[in-house]
Amino acid sequence: MKPAFTRRDFIKGSACLALGTAAGLPARAEPLSRVVLIRNPEAVTAGSRFDAGIIQNMIDEAVSRLLDAPDPAAAFGKLVRPGEVVGVKSNVWSYLPTPPEVEQAIRRRLMDAGIKEEDIGFDDHGVKTNPLFIRATSLINARPIRTHYLAGMSGCIKNYIMFTPSQSALHPDSCADLGSTFNLPQVKGKTRLNVLCCLTPQFHGRGPHHFSRRYVWNYNGILVSRDPVAVDTIGLELIKAKRRQVLGKGRELPPVPKHIRLADSRHGIGVGDLRRIELIKLGWDENSLI
Amino acid sequence: MMNLAAAGLIIGLLGFQGGAMTEEQLIFQALPERIPGWAASGEDMVYDRDTLYDYMDGGAEVYLAFDFQRVYVRKYINSQGEEISLDIFDMGTSTEAYGIFSCDREDETAGIGQESEYGYGLLRFRQGRYFVSVMASDESAEIEKAVLSLGRAALPALGEDGPAPDLLTRLPAENLRRDRISYFHADVNLNNRYFIASENLLRLDRRTECLFAEYLSGKTDPVNLLMIKYSSPNDARDAHSSFIAGYLPEAEEGDPVRMEDGTWSLVRRREALIVVILDAPDEASALGLFAGIRFDPPR
Repeated sequence: MKPAFTRRDFIKGSACLALGTAAGLPARAEPLSRVVLIRNPEAVTAGSRFDAGIIQNMIDEAVSRLLDAPDPAAAFGKLVRPGEVVGVKSNVWSYLPTPPEVEQAIRRRLMDAGIKEEDIGFDDHGVKTNPLFIRATSLINARPIRTHYLAGMSGCIKNYIMFTPSQSALHPDSCADLGSTFNLPQVKGKTRLNVLCCLTPQFHGRGPHHFSRRYVWNYNGILVSRDPVAVDTIGLELIKAKRRQVLGKGRELPPVPKHIRLADSRHGIGVGDLRRIELIKLGWDENSLI
Repeated sequence: MMNLAAAGLIIGLLGFQGGAMTEEQLIFQALPERIPGWAASGEDMVYDRDTLYDYMDGGAEVYLAFDFQRVYVRKYINSQGEEISLDIFDMGTSTEAYGIFSCDREDETAGIGQESEYGYGLLRFRQGRYFVSVMASDESAEIEKAVLSLGRAALPALGEDGPAPDLLTRLPAENLRRDRISYFHADVNLNNRYFIASENLLRLDRRTECLFAEYLSGKTDPVNLLMIKYSSPNDARDAHSSFIAGYLPEAEEGDPVRMEDGTWSLVRRREALIVVILDAPDEASALGLFAGIRFDPPR
């Protein structure tokens, strides 16, 4: 039996990332996927509220840079066409939902790109049966980042589990095959943008459904990418860095985040190799960790 | 979302059947309906091995890897809408309750039950065959008082003390952090404690008994020891071969191996026992810790 990867692989990979080189590894290939990280120290205000105006600007700037577009409307115009029906897969977990400010920013730019308001829908648990999602021609994937006791990390890949006929069927082997959800007929080829909210990430949990503000911090960031695997791969580096900082080196890794790599190697839905991901950082850089 | 048709039993609909009280009735009757500032909210619920997914979709496997029997759930809310969740897990035996309690320890003792910890709105303790979690998502003096009060209220319904696993007696005592020992069976729990590999190289299952222990090393990071007791020497032999092939091919002869981060690891098998030492600062530390293991169980 050959393991997909081990702790030793992670140690090697992290060392190379920290050095900013691929020392000891084959020469870096041309990046296949682009991920943009944008941060603003004022995005999360006192009382853990979100500043809608700043978040709109962050989404605008990040998506424009992602697509090398001159302005946000042009950027979203590269993602969707007038007349399309767009479903935004959000996340409603009560402790850490997709911020309404992020949803609103996406809605506004979709409308600027010519999508009718009635053709834009937001849903989580109901996506399988929601009529708008059934006729959607494009999807946008938007959710916060957090650790998950079984899958290691809940990011953009795991966010599509609600499209599956049986969620529990994807739980075995540390949710190894979550990437398969992107190949479901309702989903395949439709995801235009992945937005991984890192405004207040959760980096640790103490049991399967535990949440505590003790393990959440104001990172004030948003990651965007066309590629759900690349954006989760970068998100995992952020979680690992925070865990290393707070919990110590030995607890850097959350539980086996194998589904991220397998989404690349087994399901072919994106790039999980850090050497093949171009990370562009915009805005506030203090304590960026990655 | 919770599927009420499939999810557990709604205690309020059960009523008393006459005669002796059921375990559910004993436990829920012991819990207060109100404490200062907080009141019970919604229906009391019970989930068993078949319905646990309805309560903690995406994490039930962690409990099902133990001899989990059922969990009794009551929620409390205050006037601000904040919630406290009180979960009483019947783990079948006291060793299993020790196990699930031991897997996520981080905080200082709270002095409730046989072993306990409290930190930032989360109380966890074990008593007999029960593991109890009282959880709020935030922290304040009021929340701490309420959480500890609910834990103390539950305690009388949970019966006598029960023993911890015998395997603990095999661990070297010197420099052992007793509050950082974890006992479990399956790889899902090992992965939560210390990720080694994405595949189950050590062939862990419901029958294996595992201890993960931390030892003070004089450095920032501890030395870690993983001890696994298999059902038979043959099972241990197979697992040892699998682990060597998949993780430590340099360790075939049983010698310590220098890892990529400069620490030392060692793996050895003796009869039905496998011991893995991880993150030792030097070769001598790995060998010294291994030498302290009691391979023959104490009489």
